[in-house]
Amino acid sequence: MTPRPSRGGPSLGRLKIRITRGLYVVKLALRGYSNGRVESVGAVTAGIVALCVWLMFLVCALFDNARGGGVWLELLAVGAAALAIGLFILRYARVPKYLSTARLFRALASGTLASLAFVMIGLLATETTGSVTLALVEAASTVTGTNASTIDVSKIEPGVMLLRALGQWVAGAALIVILVRVLPHLGVGGLDADGGVATRSARRLSPKSSGTVFRLLLLYIVLTGLIGMGYALAGMPLVDSAMHALTTISTGGFSTQPGSIGAFQSGAIEWVGIVGMFIAGISLPLIFLALRRKDPKRFWRSYEFRFYSLAVLVAAAFDAIFTRQTLTLEIVRSSLFKVTSAASTTGYIDSVSYLPSAGGQSLVIIVMLIGGMSASMTGGFKVMRLLAISSYIGRELKRTIHPTAVLPIRVGHSSIGQTAFSKIVGEIFLSLLVLIPGALILTNGGLDVEGAFSFALSCLSNFGPAFGSAAQMNHLSELSGLGQIFSAGIMIVGRISITPVLVVLAFMAEPLVRMLRRKSFGHRKMAVR
Amino acid sequence: MKKIKGTPLRVSGSALVAISFGMFASSGVALADGGGGALGLLVSAFLTLSIGALMFGSSSVSARADTPVALASVAWSWLAVSIAGALPFLMTGSIAWAHFDNALFESVSGFTCTGSTILSDIEAVPRGVLFFRSMMQWFGGMGLIVLAVAVLPALKIGGLELIANEAPGPTADRLTPRVTDTARRLWLLYGGITLAMIAALMVVGLSPYDAASHAFTTVATGGFSPYNASIAHFDSLLAEFVIIAGMIFCGANFSLHWYAFNRGPKAYHRVSELRWYLGLIVGSTFILVWLNFGNLSLGRNIRESFFYAVSLGTSTGFGTSDFTVWAPAAQIVLLTLMIVGGMTGSTAGGMKILRLQILVRYSFREVIRARHPKAVVPIRMGAVSIDEQIAAKAVGFILLYMGLIVFGGLTLAGLGVEPVTAFSGAVSAIGNAGPGLGDAGPVSNFLVFPRLGRVILMFLMMFGRLEVFPVMLMFVAFARAVSRSRYKVRQ
Repeated sequence: MTPRPSRGGPSLGRLKIRITRGLYVVKLALRGYSNGRVESVGAVTAGIVALCVWLMFLVCALFDNARGGGVWLELLAVGAAALAIGLFILRYARVPKYLSTARLFRALASGTLASLAFVMIGLLATETTGSVTLALVEAASTVTGTNASTIDVSKIEPGVMLLRALGQWVAGAALIVILVRVLPHLGVGGLDADGGVATRSARRLSPKSSGTVFRLLLLYIVLTGLIGMGYALAGMPLVDSAMHALTTISTGGFSTQPGSIGAFQSGAIEWVGIVGMFIAGISLPLIFLALRRKDPKRFWRSYEFRFYSLAVLVAAAFDAIFTRQTLTLEIVRSSLFKVTSAASTTGYIDSVSYLPSAGGQSLVIIVMLIGGMSASMTGGFKVMRLLAISSYIGRELKRTIHPTAVLPIRVGHSSIGQTAFSKIVGEIFLSLLVLIPGALILTNGGLDVEGAFSFALSCLSNFGPAFGSAAQMNHLSELSGLGQIFSAGIMIVGRISITPVLVVLAFMAEPLVRMLRRKSFGHRKMAVR
Repeated sequence: MKKIKGTPLRVSGSALVAISFGMFASSGVALADGGGGALGLLVSAFLTLSIGALMFGSSSVSARADTPVALASVAWSWLAVSIAGALPFLMTGSIAWAHFDNALFESVSGFTCTGSTILSDIEAVPRGVLFFRSMMQWFGGMGLIVLAVAVLPALKIGGLELIANEAPGPTADRLTPRVTDTARRLWLLYGGITLAMIAALMVVGLSPYDAASHAFTTVATGGFSPYNASIAHFDSLLAEFVIIAGMIFCGANFSLHWYAFNRGPKAYHRVSELRWYLGLIVGSTFILVWLNFGNLSLGRNIRESFFYAVSLGTSTGFGTSDFTVWAPAAQIVLLTLMIVGGMTGSTAGGMKILRLQILVRYSFREVIRARHPKAVVPIRMGAVSIDEQIAAKAVGFILLYMGLIVFGGLTLAGLGVEPVTAFSGAVSAIGNAGPGLGDAGPVSNFLVFPRLGRVILMFLMMFGRLEVFPVMLMFVAFARAVSRSRYKVRQ
């Protein structure tokens, strides 16, 4: 038998084997340990999340101690509590033999809620935030990668600073796992549509999904390192570079400075930010395949990539025009920065001093709503869905002229099935149904119409910054408790999409519905008698 | 003389002839009022009549009679009457010739039953012209009613054939076997309601001129008023109630009214769209009262909340106060009402309740499908399950509608308009509501938009009024005609 040639080179191959073996051992150990009586995938997920949180808090505590911070003990304590809870849950729970769709939904929801709860406790324990609802919204910002915060970063401890940045990065890594291992089974929001669309292209990377996860995570780590190096070379201090790299690639947007990236007042750093955010908006499987096969033309062959790049350029050009100022390199950079920040839903702010024009504001809202490519780290509705919708509208126009014509919904060379398209539409409109009550509640905290709508849209897209009265830094802390809870809810809906949330809510309401049905049925029976 | 074969030309000619009679009637009102603007109106009427007659006489119905031709006829005739409608404003000097686009805006706003205005002092315009301004909306409503009940459902635009499922008895587009008979009956009903409205408004104390002007624009759910303060000018609770009743009635499906008129009010029972429509108005009123609680006295709160829930829920746009000073949450409720609009088959604008129903069911079906991936879940409306193709069309329409709002809002903001004013202006224009939020509120006018912005708004009004697809197909039919003539030349 001919030995299979190694593709990745000897050192990378060895590293891969070692990591895979290590992960396999961890997996076996977990499986051996987690063999309790309670069959619940939700509990097991929460337990695993708790273990990850412990690791994260441990790193943050060590960092805080090394940098002379004063909250390392609190971080360590919360980490230990997470470890204890995680081990306890895993001891008494086990993964069911059959994983139904409903169980996967529950796993997704419980994982999100567990991470949210631990980060929230961490923020409260370190006294970073005052109220519980504010801690919730800060935790939601961290977990969902939204740059909406009231924390004055110049006053917080280094450990908390890292917790925020690392939290966004780990949430991004978790998104890769969800994208490859969970979403294809759920088909949420039509992202499992035919032909090169997110999850399917992601599954193609390797025969086994664990291999795909490994490849994508490796790419995620490498890209983080490259962006960090870029920042450092552009003149950013080393620790800041690392933290900004974590929040750039995960499109989180948290910064170590109150004025975001703009606080460094450096054109070079902003250019690195533009490139980093643009890369974060590209589909990870696409980057992986292009790098693996050393074929940069693969990018151009992707219809979605072409549209994404063109949209960024066109939007930046319009933004520059809307400023009505003489075109300088600073204007070009600022427009590109704003648009890439919005398209990748990162939420960084640059250093320009002038106020955004009305057109510029509207453009940023539209671009952030669209977001980046599918299977990327970005929020928003994703370019692929927009393309599918455009194709659908075109088809309906054609069908008005030729009512009996059979016309597929095409995106590039691939066609999208009606079922997948229904999911896309369902996703968009259900999100809108959340948006309007959300905006209504946000006005309760004193936001005007523009502020409420732009902030609700910003939360839904996991972007962060908003306009109108929500443009002020402290608007989030001035919201009512209900407004803060709703903001957190909209952020979560934006990250894991509305369908799982509704399915889980429906699942929770099922016993009640059953009871009501039984009651009404009982009444009917009585009436018949 | 050889006649030009072109259905759009012939239909446009007949529409021009029809509105010229409106101009004659308005000149009569001007003469009765003391002569202000009578000559201008007469000249406009003669011009319109002669051009209309020439177009009608020199053309014949084309051999090809497919959907694009039918829709192009509708769209071109709307465009023709809009241009002609600008003439009285220019001829009477109400709007200077240098601002021809403003006159066109007023006319487009009239014929599309939108109600947005560029007149900063309405009461300074001669009463004859103002009467014609109200009549434009009435004529617009007249064309619209046939379009909404008979033409668009028959051509299966944007899922409107669903009216057939909702209307009691025989399908809505077949009140009679022939469209002309259907049109005649609908106009009879429309005229009857207008007369009833005039009578009711006169009973509550309005002068015949005021009653007629407001009845025309209420029945058409247009919203033009000959007074700067709109309905608040009368400060009469009774007049407001009559107008509210008129708006609710005319925001509902006219074919439904026809059946109810013939077979009794039981016809209303089966229609789920009507329940949604009334539910939305009542629900919005309660929410508005709650949101305005404390800001207004209870009596005024209920009165204004109910009025605006109806006025914007039916896309009429009459005003009794300045809602832009209300709480932001209340303004968001009003904006939502503007987007949704009234019932299908009515003179109301917006994306229509029926489509909202489909959308809600279509979207929630996906939640059920996510829970049970192999389930076959039909989209149900009452007892009827909807064909996938129809639902697809309705969804396509809504997506395009939303896309146009985004495009309009973005373009207006790009021209320097503040975002809330820009986007609400786009919503109001495409939904044919009238007022917007921000600087374009009910006590303001649309001069807050730049010149190019108003042109965009005019297009949006046309798109919204003609249910989006016909305007797009107007260009298709035009392009097809051009390519055919080129082919002939080459041969």
